Amino acid sequence: MKNKFSKILYRLVTSGVAVMSLLPSALNAAPDNGTTNRISQRINAAEFTVKGTVTSAEKEALPGVTIVVKGTSQGTTSDANGNFSLSISTPGSTLIFSFIGYATREVVVDGAKTLDIVLESDVKGLDEVVVVGYSAKKLRYLSSSVSTINNEKLRDVTSNELPNLLQGKAPGVVVSSGSGDPTKAASIVIRGAGTISAGTSPLYVVDGNIDGTYNPVDVESITVLKDVAATGLYGSRAANGVIIVNTKMGKAGKTEISVNNTLGFAEASSGKFKLMNSQQLYDYQSSFYPRDPSALSTNTNWWNEAFRTAFVNNHNISASGGTDKTTYYISANYYKEQGTVVENDKTGYNFRANMKSHLTSKLTASVLFNGQYTKDNYQNSNTLYDAYVNLPFDPAYDANGAPVDGRYYPKWLGRDRENFLQSLQYNYANGKSLRTSLDVNLDYDLTKNITLSSYNRANFSNGSTVTYYDRRTKQGGANGGELYNGNTNANRLLTSNRIRYSEDFGKHSLTVLGVAEAETSYNYYATVSGKGLPAGHDVMSVATNVLTSPTAYSEQVAFRKFLGQADYSYDNRYFLVGSFVNEFSSLFGKNNSSANFYQLGASWVLSNENFLKNNKTLTFAKIRLSHGIVGNATIPNFASLGLYSISQSASYAGLPGASPFQKGNPDLTWEKIKSSNIGADISLWNRADLSIDVYNKTSDDLLYQKPLTATTGYSYVWVNAGSVRNRGVEFNLTTRNFTGGDFTWETNLNMAFNRNKILELSNGAATFAPGNRLPLAAGHDMGEYNLPIWAGVNPENGDPQWEKLVTDANGVITKELTNVYSSVQTAQSRQFTGKSATPKFTGGFSNTFSYKGFTVSAFFNFVYGSWVYNDSRFYFDNDGLYESYNAMVLAKGWSRWEKPGDVATHPKPIVGGNKDSNQSSSRYLEDGSYIRLRNVRVGYTIPARAVKKIGFSRANIFLSADNLWTGTKFSGTDPEVSFAREGEFALGLSSIKYPISRKFLLGVNFTL
Amino acid sequence: MIKFNSIKLFLTLGLITMFSASCEQYFEPTTTIDETTALANESDVQTVTIGTYSMLLHANYTTSGHYMMEYPSDEIAQGQISSNDLTRLYRYTHINTSTHATNFWSQAYKVIAAANKVIAFVPDNASAELKQLKGENLFLRAMVHFNLVRMFGRPYPQNSGANPGVPILKEGMSDADVLTLSRSSVKEVYDFVISDLLSAAALMGSTKTNIYASKEVAYALLSKIYLFKEDNENALKYANLVIDSKRYSLLSSSDYPSYFKMATESNKETIFAVRHTNVQIAGIGTMYISSDQAGNPLGQGVSGWAELYASKKYIDFIAKYPEDLRKSFVTPYNISGVLQFNQKLTPATPMYYINKFTLQENVINASSPVYLRLADIYLIRAEANAKLGKQEAAITDVNLIRARAGLSGTALHTAASITAQGKTLLETVLDERYVELAFEGHRIYDLFRNNMPMVRNYPGTHAQNNTPTTDIRQTVLPTDPRVVYYIPQAEINQNSKLTQNP
Repeated sequence: MKNKFSKILYRLVTSGVAVMSLLPSALNAAPDNGTTNRISQRINAAEFTVKGTVTSAEKEALPGVTIVVKGTSQGTTSDANGNFSLSISTPGSTLIFSFIGYATREVVVDGAKTLDIVLESDVKGLDEVVVVGYSAKKLRYLSSSVSTINNEKLRDVTSNELPNLLQGKAPGVVVSSGSGDPTKAASIVIRGAGTISAGTSPLYVVDGNIDGTYNPVDVESITVLKDVAATGLYGSRAANGVIIVNTKMGKAGKTEISVNNTLGFAEASSGKFKLMNSQQLYDYQSSFYPRDPSALSTNTNWWNEAFRTAFVNNHNISASGGTDKTTYYISANYYKEQGTVVENDKTGYNFRANMKSHLTSKLTASVLFNGQYTKDNYQNSNTLYDAYVNLPFDPAYDANGAPVDGRYYPKWLGRDRENFLQSLQYNYANGKSLRTSLDVNLDYDLTKNITLSSYNRANFSNGSTVTYYDRRTKQGGANGGELYNGNTNANRLLTSNRIRYSEDFGKHSLTVLGVAEAETSYNYYATVSGKGLPAGHDVMSVATNVLTSPTAYSEQVAFRKFLGQADYSYDNRYFLVGSFVNEFSSLFGKNNSSANFYQLGASWVLSNENFLKNNKTLTFAKIRLSHGIVGNATIPNFASLGLYSISQSASYAGLPGASPFQKGNPDLTWEKIKSSNIGADISLWNRADLSIDVYNKTSDDLLYQKPLTATTGYSYVWVNAGSVRNRGVEFNLTTRNFTGGDFTWETNLNMAFNRNKILELSNGAATFAPGNRLPLAAGHDMGEYNLPIWAGVNPENGDPQWEKLVTDANGVITKELTNVYSSVQTAQSRQFTGKSATPKFTGGFSNTFSYKGFTVSAFFNFVYGSWVYNDSRFYFDNDGLYESYNAMVLAKGWSRWEKPGDVATHPKPIVGGNKDSNQSSSRYLEDGSYIRLRNVRVGYTIPARAVKKIGFSRANIFLSADNLWTGTKFSGTDPEVSFAREGEFALGLSSIKYPISRKFLLGVNFTL
Repeated sequence: MIKFNSIKLFLTLGLITMFSASCEQYFEPTTTIDETTALANESDVQTVTIGTYSMLLHANYTTSGHYMMEYPSDEIAQGQISSNDLTRLYRYTHINTSTHATNFWSQAYKVIAAANKVIAFVPDNASAELKQLKGENLFLRAMVHFNLVRMFGRPYPQNSGANPGVPILKEGMSDADVLTLSRSSVKEVYDFVISDLLSAAALMGSTKTNIYASKEVAYALLSKIYLFKEDNENALKYANLVIDSKRYSLLSSSDYPSYFKMATESNKETIFAVRHTNVQIAGIGTMYISSDQAGNPLGQGVSGWAELYASKKYIDFIAKYPEDLRKSFVTPYNISGVLQFNQKLTPATPMYYINKFTLQENVINASSPVYLRLADIYLIRAEANAKLGKQEAAITDVNLIRARAGLSGTALHTAASITAQGKTLLETVLDERYVELAFEGHRIYDLFRNNMPMVRNYPGTHAQNNTPTTDIRQTVLPTDPRVVYYIPQAEINQNSKLTQNP
């Protein structure tokens, strides 16, 4: 306490953003505990020089801090020792100290000539400013349920796809990937699926406008909006939640150049799953199939032939900086991830330039540009399928080491006579895309209280796909080579024009926002295919004939939105927000093309009340309420119209025709989601932050592509089909177990429990899509399986058995066991299993430890109570149905029936199959719960003194491992399946799974 | 300043609102048209009728339908178990969720519903051109109902058509009615089909090419349907109307081996075929053959799966007359003159590739499946005559077909030779149908409607689970429940009025 009087701390209560210490050396005054940092002093000079030092809280000098006199272009930066010197002409000027990673501070200088400034690193948490909808607000004062994930938390896992990075990081944000293929993105479902046939994917809002492109490396922060008070402004498209993506903007100050490199390798994680080798398969088949023992002379491990150790590279260079007038952030990124399946990889090039300039004192312009070029090489020639089913008896290579061609190898025993290794020498399938996004945003301060803004975006994208099957391969052999070309062209124009009025009246403050937004998008898609290509030549001009007729279509969609929002607060204690949205979309029928949505939210910050103020235990407490209506517009264009197809599929013998295509429903209307949320945010001792939310979401007039009985002449009709409810609880707990000293430890646990129930179906129907594995039935979870119930193996004869429900003359239903599959594949005998494809709860658990320069973190994600239909067992666990496919090694606890009296899990194997035992039933339904060590990372920040010697300002290295361990009962390679009803991968289904990969990575990052 | 700002503000707001509102546009689809404009004028009838034909091209109709009609026969041998539901069709191990039965049923009713739109639109007093088109739609509706009723309803002679058939889908039914249709009896469906065909024949005046319906096409189908319902007089009558029209002629012996390679429209023998262009590959051939473009056989998996072959029974039967041209529709898979066997079974299955469904206009796997041809009509007439006791007439027609196939002298039948072989006249006609119309989807109906069993005694997966496996017999009685398919469970689930077959 030697410098008791020379070091005075001022806690700035109003903003709470930073802690600053300053030394007015000319004054030995008592600390001013007021709400202002204004320091009064006699004015004794017209122009004077202020000198000082800027340091961090750890007392390290901060070089490159930007210091600007507010409202002028006058300024400087601190030198290598953190010293600065600045001439000030006007006493009472305000100095702005800003530096990346530190809280910006404004200091009014009334005459002090020496200022020692301590900048504290950006305190996130409750004081983080988050962008919600059309405005930015401190998390502390929000009335809605949001989750934010900053860049650092986001990018522990290595991937080029945002959903993969979000998995397990925010409660209620359920990420699932149907595939470990790097060219396939995972899907996201927020707070349960509230729709049947419309989309379940959340809406992405990038840099303030709907949709747009971004690369995860450029992301500053992600905000997930979950309840209607926040999502509602996105009206018809907000039903599935909104993910706000903000890319990095430069900060005034010294130019920073950062270089980040990650290198590593990946392996397929195949869990407990094992395929048989030759001896195992021979022994198994010998009981039912006369296999020649000569087959044993070959033992090919097709799995190993199809999978490899894959390499992952990620290189990024960025520069940012600027003056107080103009700031910029530019970056370039190269990403390459090989798939663990051979010939499969993803390469991405990404460029971004974000610039912001104060053109005049009132007008600010931002120009954002992003260009992405992606090249995907898809796994092809049935590589993955063959890896599972090819027989180990068949050779991969001949005596000379060349891949065997199964078609011409007389002794080939596998069904498909296919060696993908032979095909992959010549075949390929790839997709290339170039996507650009250009934003021009203007903000104009019309008056002190009114801001006019215009946010405008143009997206252009082009994509092409090529699939080439060489004539020398099985895939291209029949037609003398096949070539498929696809081209897409899409563009989208959006303008969002906003007026914001904001004024404080004493303790009252009011913000009113008006937005008019219009969007139009255009899509074009064309394909052409040819056959008869010379070997090794892969362009359409060398094709001698068309394979199928060329196709193309173009489509346009328009949206228009008006919204108004009023936001009122009193004394930072009471907050109210209300909004109204009117939206038009050409997706809907002419009678129902526009719809209205409203939202209300309120919150009360208890900790700002007198009775809790300065409470040492409960340092923050807030209660939130919200209610409102949003819509879902993710349906195909023209869904309400009765249509005839005039495409070539309606032509006959070369003449154009028109055939009935879609049954019309002129009454089709918007799906509306009514949602309520109650939440609380609490901080204890400033160390533990807890957010809890309880929500109830009811979707009415569900859009449903209802299958029709064939006699209607149509396959389906779009209807509004009833209502479904999702309700749940979610929480997020962050504790800073150790802080302050050299050792810190932070823990995060988030969990979400969601329950889904179909409340009613239209016209009082009990079930839609009966006979489906996942039908829709009133009173049931949308993901609940309905199947013939497997009743095990008859110990007497090894037959498969199912439960058959029989109604006797008195109407009493009894269960019988039967071995006749058709008798249980009936409406009566199919039963609800009580098992759902959607999880009972999901979550994530992470711990971060740091000691001096070292950081160690471990992050688990977990899924509980979901059931997976392991469809692949149809192919390789089918009791002898295919002697020409490989079989899986029985999982622990499974057994095969061999002789009368055996109590077994698997029926007697019979070639050709044992009484349809592999047909759809609860037999292949497995517990899909899992816990996964998603990421472990050890990082080391090289001490500043050491790196400065070699010219860097910061440097760190890390070792990271993704998906190191998975705990599950699932018998397949990977229990993770899609939890979304839509998309490429079906809900709850595991079929010829491309397993997720285990990655090991080394990262080197430095800043110049 | 404030005032100036207000003006700017209101001007801006006004412009933005107007601009945004101007974005309220609707767009038209590019590959579809609104149903209200699709069939609004007389000029649309032609286009929409083409659309009805186009629906027959769907694999659910063509491919699944072929599998269902042909695979249960004794002309075919499956050499190995397939993951495809077609294995069950072949082995008579049907299930009520059969992929192919579900496919066929759903596409069949879509064709009927499409035809109904035109049938309802065109009045009976319309122009000759429109009446022709209405007649074509009536023909298509009748044909599809007939195909449905013989797949899902028991053979007509059993219980005189009183067994459950399939739902009859007429034009102009309400939405509520079509959702709750029940199965009409087999007889009711036959009567409905006959009535449609008679109307169709009366309406159609043009002689279009053989890829469209016309008066004689309707007559040809009528003769077949009457034969199926044992009305031999009418079968004879309509067969005569077709033959005597002189619109069709048997291909010459020299052209005959390339019957399925020539362009459909130039084939004088074909009465009706569903025309597939050479980029509309139906995929029937891929199960039967793997070959190069010259038709030389190749191993499995080159141009096709080649898992189903001509049965040993068929090969042995046809081998009695080495000069029989119909052998040319089977391509034995020989390597250096040695016949290859599919080794997946014991005993192994000889690989006799069937080439009736490939190389249309020299395109691999291209084929326009023939639905009605003149040889079939001659043999229908022969069968009707045989049943009516007109022995000479029956033998004449059979010999006409045999002579065209290159047979002569003692290879042709006489009443005496038939007796000497211990055969009845009906058996002789059916034998001729077996040889002549093989793989074209006739065999199972020819046997079961005549109350005869289907006997397989050759290597194939049908004997897979016999003990011992060297016993390769399978006999299916015409009364076997699995002579017909299960009604697709998916349909029963949505329409409780549909009853299941036992």
